[in-house]
Amino acid sequence: MSRSDAAEVARVAAAVSDLVEQVFVTVARVHEATLRSVEREGLRAGRWVLPDGVQELLRAPGQLAVGLGLVVAPRPEEGLPLRLEWWQVDPDGGKLHTLEPDLRPTSLGYYDYTVAEWYDVPRRTGRRHAFGPHVDVHGTGRYVLTLTEPVVAGSGFVGVAGADVPVRRFETHLLRALGRLSTPFVLLNDEGRVVLSTAPRFLVGSLLPADAGLPEQGTPVPGVPWRLLLVRDGRLLAG
Amino acid sequence: MRLLSGDARRAVFAPLDDGALRSEAVVRRVGSAIALGLLADGEQLPTESDLATMLKVSTVTLREALAELRKLGLVETRRGRGGGSFVRSRDDVLSELADARLAELGTTDLRELGDVHSAAAAAAARLAASRASRTEIARLRDIVDRLASAGSVTGQRRTDGRYYIELAACAQSVRLTMQEMDLHLELGQLPWPPAHAPGLLDVIVAGHRAVIDAIEDRDAARARALTEAHIETRTLWAIELRLQRLGGAGSAAVHREVS
Repeated sequence: MSRSDAAEVARVAAAVSDLVEQVFVTVARVHEATLRSVEREGLRAGRWVLPDGVQELLRAPGQLAVGLGLVVAPRPEEGLPLRLEWWQVDPDGGKLHTLEPDLRPTSLGYYDYTVAEWYDVPRRTGRRHAFGPHVDVHGTGRYVLTLTEPVVAGSGFVGVAGADVPVRRFETHLLRALGRLSTPFVLLNDEGRVVLSTAPRFLVGSLLPADAGLPEQGTPVPGVPWRLLLVRDGRLLAG
Repeated sequence: MRLLSGDARRAVFAPLDDGALRSEAVVRRVGSAIALGLLADGEQLPTESDLATMLKVSTVTLREALAELRKLGLVETRRGRGGGSFVRSRDDVLSELADARLAELGTTDLRELGDVHSAAAAAAARLAASRASRTEIARLRDIVDRLASAGSVTGQRRTDGRYYIELAACAQSVRLTMQEMDLHLELGQLPWPPAHAPGLLDVIVAGHRAVIDAIEDRDAARARALTEAHIETRTLWAIELRLQRLGGAGSAAVHREVS
C-alpha cells in the first residue's frame, strides 16, 4: 500500500471510529442510568429499571441513534420475564415512543432477543459489540446497526444497554464527515458483510464473496469488530 | 391502547385496499392475524375509532365487522370499566373461515397469490444465498426443525410464515420482509394444506431444507429454483382443494356465489 493509500485508510478508519464512539457515549449514559437504578432499587418484575428522561438522549443535537435502551436479561426463577425498555424516534415525526415487541413465543411475530447476536455476544464475552447491518424484523422493522454493551451489577448480568443507528443515517454522516475521497473503500464487519461502501460493486449488506480475495485482511477499525479495505479497479486491496 | 411494534403488527393494522366488501375484509384480516398468533387470545383490540383510523374504514363499517366477529365468536365485547373488545382464538372458527374464504376465491386468485409469493420468496432465497451469514442460516434451520415438530395446525402455520419472513430478512431486505408479512396475512386466511392431508407437512419441511442447503452451498440459482418449485406445488394444492370442494360439501356456498 502506498503512503497516500495508508493515509486515506487511516483517515477513514478514524472517522468511522469517531462516529461509533459517539454512539457508544449514548450507550454509556444508558448503562450508567441502569446501574444507578439497580443499585438503588434492585430489579423487580413490572418496574422499569431505566428512569424517565433517558429517552431525551435521542433528542440531543447530532444524535445518530434512533433507538436506545436496556434489554433486560430474563430471570424466570425470580419472576422476571423477557423485557425491553427501549425508546425510539417515530420514523414519521419526532415523537418518542417505547418499543412494544411481541414477546409471545406462540406468535408469528415473536421477538426472541435472547438468541440475537447483539444480545448474546455481550452476554457471553462481557464486551461491547457492534452488530449489523441487519433487518430488525420483529423489533423496529428497520435496517440498522445495533451497538450494545453488557450491564453487570452486584447481582450479576442485568442485560445489555444499546442503541440502534439506521444504516442510511450512519452512511450519510460518515460520508459528510469524510468529504472528498481519494480512493473508494469497503467497510466489513466480523461476518465479512459490507457495512458501508463507496464502491458500487460492493453493496451494503452483501457478504464478501469467497473469490473476492483477501477476506482476512484489511485495517482494523478501533473499537468495533470491523475492517477497512480500499478498492482499486473494482478489486479489494490488502490493508 | 398498546400497539406492538414490528413489521408483522404494522401489517395487521395497515389500511385495507383489496376492494372487497370492507367489513368482510376487516373480518378476514382479524381472522388471519389470530390464526398467525399476531393477535393473541384474550388480547384487547384498539378502540373502535383507533381501529377504524388505522384500517382506513368508516366506524360504521368497523362496527359491522366487529358485530360479525362477535357472532363468529372471535371477539368478545365487555362493557363498563376495563371493558372493550377482546380476541378469542378458536381453531374451529378459524378453520371454517378459511374454508369459506377458499370457496369465495377463483383458481386464478389462488394462482395470482402464488405467483406473487413465488416472486418475493424466490428473490429472497436467491439473495440469501449470497447474503445470509452462518448464524442466519443456522436460524433458518432451527425454524424448520421447529416446523417439523410443531404439534398444532396453528403452530405449523406460524412457523412456516416465520421461515419465509426470516428468509427475506436474510436477504437483508426490509421491503421483501414487509412484503412477506403482508402476503402471510393473506395466505393465513386460507386453509393450511397439512390440516387436510398431514403428510404434506413432510413435503413442506423437505422443501425448506433443500432451499437452506442451497443457500449454505451459496448456490443462488438452485435456492431460487427450489423456492419457485415449492411454492408452485403449494399453489396447486390450494387449487386442487378448491376444485374438490366444488363437488363436495362446499358446493352449497359455491352455488350461492355463482347464482
